[in-house]
Amino acid sequence: MDRTLANFIRALRNSEVRISTAETLDAFNAVELVGYRDRAFLKRSLSLVLPKTRDEKETFDACFDQFFSFEDVRREAPGQVRGSEQPDSEGRAADDANADGQGEGEGGGGGERSEAAPAGGEQRRRKGKQKPRNALYAEDEEPDLGPGEMSAPTSALGTLLMQDSKVELSMAMSAAGEAVDVREIQVFTQKGLYTRRIMDQMGLIELNREIAGAREDPAVPVRRLGQELRRRRDWLRGQVRDYVERQFLLHADASGKRLREELLRKVKLSNVEHRSFRLIQEIVYKMAKRLATLHSRRKKVFKKGQLNVPRTLRHNMAYDGAIFDLRWKSVKIDRPKVFAICDVSGSVANYARFMLMFLYSLEEVMPKVRSFAFSSDLAEVTDLFDRNSIEDAIAKTLRDYGGGSTDYGQAFEDFKRSCLDDVDNRTTIIILGDARNNYGNPRAEILKEMYDRAKRIIWLNPESRNAWTVGDAEMRRYSAYCHQAEECNSLMHLERVVGNLLKTVR
Amino acid sequence: MAAIEDMAQSAEAVRGHLEDHRYICSSQIATAVYLAYQLRKPILIEGPPGVGKTELAKTTAEMFELPLIRLQCYEGLDEAKAIYEWKYGKQLLYTQVLKETLDEVLQGARGFAESVTRLHEFGDIFFSEEFMEPRPLLKALREEDGCVLLIDEVDKSDHEFESLLLEILSDFQVSIPEIGTVKATREPPMVFLTSNNTREISDALKRRCLHLYIPFPDVELEQRIINARVPEIPPELRRQLVAFIQELRDLDLKKVPAISETIDWARTLVLLHAETLDPDLVRETLNVVLKFQEDIENVQGEVAALTSQVVKHGARL
Repeated sequence: MDRTLANFIRALRNSEVRISTAETLDAFNAVELVGYRDRAFLKRSLSLVLPKTRDEKETFDACFDQFFSFEDVRREAPGQVRGSEQPDSEGRAADDANADGQGEGEGGGGGERSEAAPAGGEQRRRKGKQKPRNALYAEDEEPDLGPGEMSAPTSALGTLLMQDSKVELSMAMSAAGEAVDVREIQVFTQKGLYTRRIMDQMGLIELNREIAGAREDPAVPVRRLGQELRRRRDWLRGQVRDYVERQFLLHADASGKRLREELLRKVKLSNVEHRSFRLIQEIVYKMAKRLATLHSRRKKVFKKGQLNVPRTLRHNMAYDGAIFDLRWKSVKIDRPKVFAICDVSGSVANYARFMLMFLYSLEEVMPKVRSFAFSSDLAEVTDLFDRNSIEDAIAKTLRDYGGGSTDYGQAFEDFKRSCLDDVDNRTTIIILGDARNNYGNPRAEILKEMYDRAKRIIWLNPESRNAWTVGDAEMRRYSAYCHQAEECNSLMHLERVVGNLLKTVR
Repeated sequence: MAAIEDMAQSAEAVRGHLEDHRYICSSQIATAVYLAYQLRKPILIEGPPGVGKTELAKTTAEMFELPLIRLQCYEGLDEAKAIYEWKYGKQLLYTQVLKETLDEVLQGARGFAESVTRLHEFGDIFFSEEFMEPRPLLKALREEDGCVLLIDEVDKSDHEFESLLLEILSDFQVSIPEIGTVKATREPPMVFLTSNNTREISDALKRRCLHLYIPFPDVELEQRIINARVPEIPPELRRQLVAFIQELRDLDLKKVPAISETIDWARTLVLLHAETLDPDLVRETLNVVLKFQEDIENVQGEVAALTSQVVKHGARL
């Protein structure tokens, strides 16, 4: 199987592009057809198969550019970097290219290479570039040996390095990365660790031994080889570091984010720090999206309207064509109502924020939502949401109505006066609040009236169940008139409640 | 068949052939058609209205010289209108007529069991191919040499209908309870689905399709499109017109003009023998491009500035 593509798909999934197994198979088919040669064509093709929304396409573009950047690695490979540093020898550069071509062509059998040709290529190459490079290796007290005959390397990595085959090097690098599971990298402090592990995996120890040995060696060609190997080793380390960096960006960033999301789902909403709001919003939106696809519009076959003649005939054929079981054409979309009454006083404001966010993100599938906010006096805020974006509307609601001391009795009275008449047997009322009434009159009889008229009353209380009857909490009295009273203080609770709501409300 | 094979041998070839049929497209679109043919996969095309989603399907059919079968989706569309329906009238008529001959069929069969056995020998005549009225999806599957099936504005249909499409999209077959499974003949149809994104298409459907998003074209592409569609327009005017439309798309409008509007406008201007844009001309013909009174009123005030800017800019090009 194609490892590269599989990894790419994994990276995409990490960046939140949803890719199913079927789509993975499609991608393999597409790649088989298209091949890896034409990068732009490959990108266009995969962008048809893998991402399925506009947002995903954007993510895909970024991810593709980051993932398929091996061309850059090639350009910086040792032979070519140096080749460009010696403008005096165009002919030789051509020779170099030749040698490179050979190296790539020989592929897997590279280790068994004959000594003469590459060594010769090396020699020539060393001429011009030796001096500027040398300054970088100050720790190296050894005098530069200049160009000349060089012996062949013995260690596997050394051989690979001296071959100038960028393709093989980057392949070996990927293989080593694979072997040490570089994709599991989680936090940026692990970069050094993984760089070292990959180097080790590629045979660094053996190479170091060879370099150290070469330094002590009396023969000039061997010492010369040692110097060259050291230079190349340091170059390789830079390459590996870049490679790890890329892997980190592709894999760890997302899994770190996922970890954070996972935590945020469970954390108490009142404890959410302000800087996480954006992320919470994303999560809410995502959860809402999922619920929305789960509960798409349902239609109800209606008992009157236009006659569906073919259906009726067909259905009644069994009764000798006597038409008595009628079928109708029209179906009616069931659109019940939801009233959300939110306590936005200090203690509960944060929960209200997220519940409203949730309800309004579900616009597509959620029946018409009317929302009310109160701390002492209740007011309808529905049109705030109609006119503004969700975030703005929530901010305005909290600013205008939040902050007072809670008076549930007053709020219920206001509700009764302004819109109890609109409550009918298709209405679901959600009340969000801690039911802490500051020892005021709870006016539970109004709640009873609502209970009698509405289809359902759901009370969401952010406090844990055993605190519901403590102190000034009136939950015991109120819960008698609720169809359902739930503890609700994290996104997970919210998701469950809203999910159930969608199931039962329609 | 060989001709199609030939035309679809590479994305570039597809693009060239589409251009021969006056459909100017980006390489992304050409790649989509190429992959759809090679992988035998449906394409789901999304994008703002008027960027040529339906046109792509039509042109592809024309290019491959295949029949185009079109299914326009709307709310309430069901299998009876999309896949097949029984010819109820014929069924009823035949039962009435055949009542007379029932005696002959039974031929003095004695007892209930014997009569029923005798009747069973005739099988389900009333639910056989002769009594079936094929609708677009079934028709498309039965086209011997393949065809282009266009399922237009799939977002207008209901969720139930989407699920109905799944079988035909993944396996090119439909199951009819009374008859069995109808599979595509030799060559499966090329399926194009278009969506204006009025609602989210389900994941199950998306999974089975290639997904192509057609955005508004850039200046260069739009110029070429106008050139192909309205070749008689003077080049100077064409440049100004495209630049003007591109500017309009940046404004905050209820409905931004799409390619179809650009083409209409170009035709209008050619009809009026215009050589260059001027504010009065633009004001008079603005209703070709903008479809809401509110938008027209909003833009009216800026016409002069926009026109002079575009004319100047056009001269520089």
